[in-house]
Amino acid sequence: MKPSAFDYVAPRTVADAVDALAAGAQVLAGGQSLLLDMHLQRAHPALVADINHVPGLDELTASDGTLTVGALVRHQTFESPGAVPGPLGDLFARAVVTIAHPPIRARGTMAGSLAWAHPASEWCALAVALDAVVELRSTRGTREIPAGEYFLGPFQTAREPDELLTAVRYPLLAPDTGVAFTEHRRTGFSFAQVAVGAALTVRDGVITEARIGLANCADRPLRAHAAERTLIGAEPSSPAFTMAGEAASTEDAAPVPEPYADVDYRRHVIAVLVARTLREAAPV
Amino acid sequence: MVDRWLRREDERLLTGAGRFVADLRVDGRLDAVFVRSEVAHGVLREVDCSAARETPGVAGAWSAADLPGLPPMPGGEPAREWPALVEDRVRYPGEALAVVLGDDRYHAEDGAARVRTRIDPLPAVVTARDAAADSVALFDGLSNVALRGEAGSPIAGEVWERAAVVVESRYRQQLLMPSPMECRTILCVPEGDRLTVWSGHQAPHRLRSELAALLDRPEESVRVVVPDTGGAFGSKSAVFPEFIVVAWLAVRLGRPVRWVEDRRESLLVATRGRGQDQHVRLAADADGRLLAYELTVEADVGAYPHLGVAFPMQTAWMATGPYTTPLVHATVRSVLTNTMITYPYRGAGRPEATSPLERTMDVLARRLDLDPAELRRRNLIPPELFPYRTPTGRTYDSGDHPAALDLALRTLGYDGWRAEQARRRADPAALPVGIGLSCYVERSGGERGSLHDYVGVEAGEDGTVVARCGAASSGQSHSTVFPALVAETLGVEPARVRLIEGDTDELPGGVGSFGSRSAQIDGAGLQHAAGLLIEEARERAARMWDLPVEETAWSEGAVHPVRGTAAMGLSELVKRTGPLRIDERYEADMAFPFGTHAAVVEVDPDLGTVRVLRLVAVDDCGRALDPAVVRGQAFGSIVQGLGQALYEGVPFGDDGVPLLANGLLDYLLPTYAEIPPIDLRETRTPTPRTPLGAKGAGESGCIGTPPAIVNAVADALRLDHPERLQMPLTPDVVWRAAA
Repeated sequence: MKPSAFDYVAPRTVADAVDALAAGAQVLAGGQSLLLDMHLQRAHPALVADINHVPGLDELTASDGTLTVGALVRHQTFESPGAVPGPLGDLFARAVVTIAHPPIRARGTMAGSLAWAHPASEWCALAVALDAVVELRSTRGTREIPAGEYFLGPFQTAREPDELLTAVRYPLLAPDTGVAFTEHRRTGFSFAQVAVGAALTVRDGVITEARIGLANCADRPLRAHAAERTLIGAEPSSPAFTMAGEAASTEDAAPVPEPYADVDYRRHVIAVLVARTLREAAPV
Repeated sequence: MVDRWLRREDERLLTGAGRFVADLRVDGRLDAVFVRSEVAHGVLREVDCSAARETPGVAGAWSAADLPGLPPMPGGEPAREWPALVEDRVRYPGEALAVVLGDDRYHAEDGAARVRTRIDPLPAVVTARDAAADSVALFDGLSNVALRGEAGSPIAGEVWERAAVVVESRYRQQLLMPSPMECRTILCVPEGDRLTVWSGHQAPHRLRSELAALLDRPEESVRVVVPDTGGAFGSKSAVFPEFIVVAWLAVRLGRPVRWVEDRRESLLVATRGRGQDQHVRLAADADGRLLAYELTVEADVGAYPHLGVAFPMQTAWMATGPYTTPLVHATVRSVLTNTMITYPYRGAGRPEATSPLERTMDVLARRLDLDPAELRRRNLIPPELFPYRTPTGRTYDSGDHPAALDLALRTLGYDGWRAEQARRRADPAALPVGIGLSCYVERSGGERGSLHDYVGVEAGEDGTVVARCGAASSGQSHSTVFPALVAETLGVEPARVRLIEGDTDELPGGVGSFGSRSAQIDGAGLQHAAGLLIEEARERAARMWDLPVEETAWSEGAVHPVRGTAAMGLSELVKRTGPLRIDERYEADMAFPFGTHAAVVEVDPDLGTVRVLRLVAVDDCGRALDPAVVRGQAFGSIVQGLGQALYEGVPFGDDGVPLLANGLLDYLLPTYAEIPPIDLRETRTPTPRTPLGAKGAGESGCIGTPPAIVNAVADALRLDHPERLQMPLTPDVVWRAAA
């Protein structure tokens, strides 16, 4: 479990960082995924660009209804619900405690999770559910991609190898949005077998907006569009949530078998967990 | 009296000042990396090390063909030899195909990545039941069955026919990884005619004998030293193929060579524990009195016959458990499978005996509509029947099993939990809770042939005392416990006594630390040797003072005349009369610790998740030498038992390769977040087999806890046929059982 030989640079500006990427570097931010892959000989970068010394990438800002999360904002930041305004902060705080354990949360970054794109990633599921936008910089310029178009498969994204994921932007949630996040896993520190994040808006007794993100329910993070459709216009009730869970399980999800979780079991868990998450998210 | 147990290891280990094999610096040392098979079973067609040899920082690379005369593993059969490097047939995933030596592990891994191999895969078998069918033969023309054995006598058909109730069930004791924090290590340093071997190991003298024989050199020319060792749990008690290669190359090259196993290798090729397919029949009369018990074991023993193929007999010998069942018969078939070998893992045969019996007891209780505690109470061996000879050939030394059961029930608040269970059963919104019990008896000290050890106590002119023993700590606090015991016996300050162990140059022989034997055998031996030192001191003083020995006495670390006040301490005595050292080979019989474990769980039947609300462990290890150490041992083994019950397992692909690509993210050990509230209690029944009275401690949790948890889950779900609850009780398993 030793990495192959590699060169290391520590750029001080985004411009220097993207130059390094243009030269073939892989990005070291929190190091919680890249270093593991290097030690397991699954990644063999000839050059590693450590962006931890680039000023400004650790900024977390909210303005004009948009939250901007810089590339170096650590998971841990979101453990405080007040770090992000409104229900979005509450949703992130509920989700972040399901990510690995405290030492990993102290180092790993939200943007790093999106760059790595593990199908079980909690942040990736929330990004697609919340219509996040990913900002990518390279020597060729800057572009933005909606999260819904960004994830292409396990560890595969629309990011080109020379692009640095500099920030993730989220629309803030309206103050009357109800949120919840639940996760099913084997131990406190294992990957999610299934995780579900939800944001619900209820006006005049009926659901007017629903966002459901699914982690580890397919080869990439999913937004459960079919489940959401069953909810719009419905009263927030257990039968409605159960029906949404069934829709998420049978129409949205495409689970693959894992040891200790075959497809039948995973579909069952998705249905149960989506219904439970919605019940918890429903504003009272 | 807390001072007596001042801990000696903690400061060094907790401040990073420990010295493990990987910390030892030796000039010119090479690191070994093994090229491992990615298939479970296949014919080796080619190993090409040429590119590896050209890699910068690589000192050499060899396949079996490059090392003629490399000795095979000891203890096997000529017809089914286990080569140290694969010669023509791969029989387990990860088996070593070649070795690369480099300036450091980084360079050696670079070289290993460039070794080219070609293997034509064969079908693989990974469970004993599959392998026993012999449809895939690991050795052409030979059966996969490596050993057959039995304990007790066959039970007549009419016993089963006449019984009021007969319960029949099948269980699987899954393969487990012992998972010490430090994986296996060896550093071989040739110096002139001598070879010094540093290894995190449980049995240094045995390793010395085996390596000397393999290298065809005198035993005295090999010294084995065990430095700080980060856990073992049974996995570091043998010689391994990698050890042979490293020692062989060190001698051949005349250079120090080291192998420090990493976690990824360990998950593939470290010895594993358990691995049994079991069938049981249990007969009782209408009052729940046990009439007969039959246990049939098919044990995975891994890919090659080795010293461990007979270990499953431990399960057969212990099949009787803590009950007065008059007829017990256990049969064992040890079967070769395409996995790394099974070997003792904490509990070693006793968990495999306890689990099927205790699970079946709960099924029987349900069948008879009896409370499971009451069923056990009716059958536990009463104290007045000890020593108790079991139908499977064991003679239990001592015990008060009903007392342990009662204490466990009281500690748990058994009746209160039964009431809570009834309340929840009446409330459709409440999650069900279940209560599980497990009464166990285990064996400690070892088997015939390993029930002795070498011990020594030496008094120095400076007033210090050195204790020596053949044990080898891998984290059991010997440096704290044994000096305190010797100090107590001699009546000297504990700070004056220090322990030397784990060095074959220090004692003529040694058995090591496994099978819960160190406190029981080495502890009793050290107490005995300290007593002999007192006798010798009195004899010397008697001669010096021209008194009969009876006119001398010993107290507070000094000898004195019975009449008179002039006392002489050990230091003065040694100055006057010369070196004073007692060396003994001490032998004692095995002992049988016992206890009752209880678990309360809450089950979410919709998801299949199990939350352990409480665990209670009542253990009886006789005299506890150091209560804090015993509690630590109990706690650790309970957590490992929790691991077997709920989390740990080795999933295999269809090709027989373990699906553990992400290491400990796939093989899930319980972590702090999984540890429930645990109540430890003890009863104390000293073994009459040594004056010390200590029995083994430290394996109880692996033995007693798993069936308590599984029984609790079955109880929560009110399962009449809990066969579908096979460990580990992962959520999918529980969900299916509940459906």
